[in-house]
Amino acid sequence: MLDIRSLSKKFGSGDSAFQALKSIDITIEEGEFFTLLGPSGCGKTTLLRLIAGFEQPSGGQLVLDGKDIATIPPNHRPVNTVFQSYALFPHMTVAQNVAFGLEARGTNPAEIAPRVDEILEIVQMAHLRDRKSSQMSGGQQQRVALARALAPRPRILLLDEPLSALDLKLRKQMQFELKRLQRELGLTFIFVTHDQDEALTMSDRIAVMDGGTLQQVADPRTLYDHPANRFVAEFIGEANFLSGTVAGGKLSLSGQAPVPLPHGADASGPVTVMIRPEQVVVGSAGGNAVTLDGQIEALVFSGTDTHVTLRLENGDTLSLRAPNNSHATTTFAEGEPLRVALPVDALRLLPEDIANAA
Amino acid sequence: MANKRFDVTHVPGAATIAIVTFLALYIPVLILVVNAFNGSDTAGRWEGLSLRWFAAALDNAAFRSAAVNSVIVALAAALLSTCLATAVALAVTRGRQIKGQGSIVIIVNQPLLVPEIVFGIALMVVLAQVKQVTGYQGLGYLIAAHTTFCIPFAFLPIRARLAGMDLTLETASMDLYAGRFYTFRRVTLPLLLPGILTGFMLAFVISLDNVVVSSLVKSPGQETLPTYLMGELRRNLTSEIYAISALLLFASISIVAASWVITRTKQ
Repeated sequence: MLDIRSLSKKFGSGDSAFQALKSIDITIEEGEFFTLLGPSGCGKTTLLRLIAGFEQPSGGQLVLDGKDIATIPPNHRPVNTVFQSYALFPHMTVAQNVAFGLEARGTNPAEIAPRVDEILEIVQMAHLRDRKSSQMSGGQQQRVALARALAPRPRILLLDEPLSALDLKLRKQMQFELKRLQRELGLTFIFVTHDQDEALTMSDRIAVMDGGTLQQVADPRTLYDHPANRFVAEFIGEANFLSGTVAGGKLSLSGQAPVPLPHGADASGPVTVMIRPEQVVVGSAGGNAVTLDGQIEALVFSGTDTHVTLRLENGDTLSLRAPNNSHATTTFAEGEPLRVALPVDALRLLPEDIANAA
Repeated sequence: MANKRFDVTHVPGAATIAIVTFLALYIPVLILVVNAFNGSDTAGRWEGLSLRWFAAALDNAAFRSAAVNSVIVALAAALLSTCLATAVALAVTRGRQIKGQGSIVIIVNQPLLVPEIVFGIALMVVLAQVKQVTGYQGLGYLIAAHTTFCIPFAFLPIRARLAGMDLTLETASMDLYAGRFYTFRRVTLPLLLPGILTGFMLAFVISLDNVVVSSLVKSPGQETLPTYLMGELRRNLTSEIYAISALLLFASISIVAASWVITRTKQ
């Protein structure tokens, strides 16, 4: 549906030039909840602004329904935006805000009022239709901003960190509602966020970005279970990194006895090995596993599980989450030794990351 | 001292100085207003309250014509300077970054920097030639002259309003299928209106009050309210002058108050 082809964006020129996006290629499918995720300055907002038409690309194409829209001004693109600051028109009522896009587009006036009512009903704001935006809470403004962007029936809805100004409880509720709305409308959403939890819970697919490049594009489970590189592994969830060596199809980790490579892995020489804290097993594990000994350095009780920071014999630290469903964790104490096992199939071999090695 | 509560915002003596300044500013004006209501034939000798000098002023054809001239010039100059100031403010704060935006602001504020008497003499010299060539002697010269020095006063509140406006609102408008003109009409202009109204009122008051430029630029026989008052003062200080001054004062205060009320309700 939307084909982003070698899209690049450079700000400024000469020595002060800044390459915000470096040749981005993504294909976004019809009806998909697609998230652009990354730290601030990674280029995600620039990419969104290019799709909206607020910026002109320095190169590449944006093909929407078979037509290159890269140079079309924003008011001629069938794409609407929910802004981070909401950007509601303060001199207009809720209903006037929602009607704005329809009026500007020259929609038949007889069709505008029913559409405004319909969309306000969908976002549950019909009772506040005559309020001014300054008289509403953040959550209410958020709904109006959403209604205003949805009213003209865009092909794609762009959302620029729309939940970042809300408090945690309201944010969780809006995450759920946004996702429900997107499913019901069957509309394509492109959502920008720096919050990995938000991205994981809402998205069909996520593009992880850093330094103006795509790091990985995948569904949430794949991103978490099979991160393409160290950046993705670190940005999504928590991760332990250990260094190891592969020789003769066997992996040696921290001087332990060689074990077979995890399923599907292929490498040789020095490697970075990643394991998620919840995959680390306390005690010994059956099957292929690397057993490590260490000393408990810190303990944090968090209800469902206990976060343990372990100082390994070689000086590295390893963090793990032991579930509190048995009495085992009650015997843990700082300074005490602990033996853990890393199941081989939970290990991920990551390519040496040049950017992070420097 | 020990139990006196500490207050960061407290500056010793500031309140006293403020009161003294306030009195120094307003007592002379108050005396003038009181004198305007003097029923006596001679100014300076009090003979009870009366509105007779207001009646006399309103009966005076020369005063009426000067007042009409003043209002026409002030309205026209305020309207023109506000339009120009709006355009300049938009150019300086919106759209593409123009090279030398800072110098544009300085040029616009030129009347604040050049001494008024210098500006007046310069205009007088140039306009004397123009009057000779064209033969036109009307209010147009006063309107043009007033427009120039009113621009910075109209410009200031408009620019402040524009600078405080969220640019995302215009981006949102463009995102919602609005073109540039539609965005200006439906978003920028309505949000700018309080600033424009304040600028207009300010320009109007500044024009209404001007003496120096008016007396140098006006054609023979033409009077605005302030130049008329200056001329009358040279002859004799009458209670009628007090009454006219009081009227001018009331007009200025009403306009400023109206502008304050409008901008407050518009916020």
